[in-house]
Amino acid sequence: MTAQESLQLITESFNKSRKDILRNSAKFFMLWGILLTVISVAIYLLWHSTGKPQWNFLWFAMPVIGYPFAALIRKNTVAIPQNEVSKMLGGVWSVFGAFSITLSAIAVFLVPMHITLIIVIILGLAECISGVLLKNWPIIIAGFFLGIGGAVFAMLVKSEAQLLIFTLGGVLLLVTGMIMKLQYK
Amino acid sequence: MFPKLDPILHSELRLAVMSILAGADEADFTYLKNQTGATSGNLSVQIDKITTAGYITVEKGFKGKMPRTTCKITPAGQEAFSNYVDALKEYLSAGQ
Repeated sequence: MTAQESLQLITESFNKSRKDILRNSAKFFMLWGILLTVISVAIYLLWHSTGKPQWNFLWFAMPVIGYPFAALIRKNTVAIPQNEVSKMLGGVWSVFGAFSITLSAIAVFLVPMHITLIIVIILGLAECISGVLLKNWPIIIAGFFLGIGGAVFAMLVKSEAQLLIFTLGGVLLLVTGMIMKLQYK
Repeated sequence: MFPKLDPILHSELRLAVMSILAGADEADFTYLKNQTGATSGNLSVQIDKITTAGYITVEKGFKGKMPRTTCKITPAGQEAFSNYVDALKEYLSAGQ
C-alpha cells in the first residue's frame, strides 16, 4: 500500500463506522418520538372526551413500553459499536428520562408542581444538546424553540391543550431521527 | 529520513480493523467482518497478530445465547495508530 492508499483506507473505514454508529442512534430517536407522539395524542383525546385529568397516569406507560422495545431493537441489530458521540447522546437522553420519570412521580404523589413546564424545558434542552453533539443546526434551533416556546405555551395554555406541546416534541424527535438517518446515509 | 512504518499496521485488513477501533469504543467480530468484507478465518488471523502486538484486546462472551467476540483498542494501539498516521502524513508532505 502507498501512503496515499493507507490514508484513504483509514479515512473510509473511520467515516463508515462513524456513520453506522450515528445511523443506529437514529432508531432510538424515532422510537421515542413515535411513542411520545402517540401517547400525548391518546392522553389528550381521552382527557378531552372524558374531562378526567387522571388519564395523565398513562405517561407512566411510556417507559414501560419504550424500554422493552429499545432492548428488542438492540437485540435484533447486528452489534453496532458505540463512539463518544453515541455514548453522550445515550447519556443525555437517559438523564432526561431519569429526571422526567422521577419528577413526574414526585409531582403526582408528593409535591404538586407544574410538570408540563419543567418537562418541556428539559426536553428542549436535551434536544438542543443532541443537536450540539451532532453538529446539526436545525436540531439545535428546533430544541431551543421547543424548550423556550414550550415553556411559554405551558404557562399560557391550561388543561389538556398543554399536551399538544409534547405531541410537537414527539414529532421533533422523530424528525431528528430522520435527519440523522439522512445525514449519515 | 522517513520514519519507519509500523509493519503491524501496514497491512490492508489490519489497518482497516485498527481504523474502525480507533473511532469506536469497541467492536464486535461480526461487525468488523461485515465492515472489512474479510473472511472469518483471515480476520481471526489478523486480529491475533494485532492482539499479540498489544494493540487491541479481545474479549469472548455471550450476547443472549450467542457467542460474542469483542475487540477493543488499547492505549498502546491508539499511540501506534496515531504514530502511523503521522508517519503517513510525513511521507505525503515530502512527496508534494
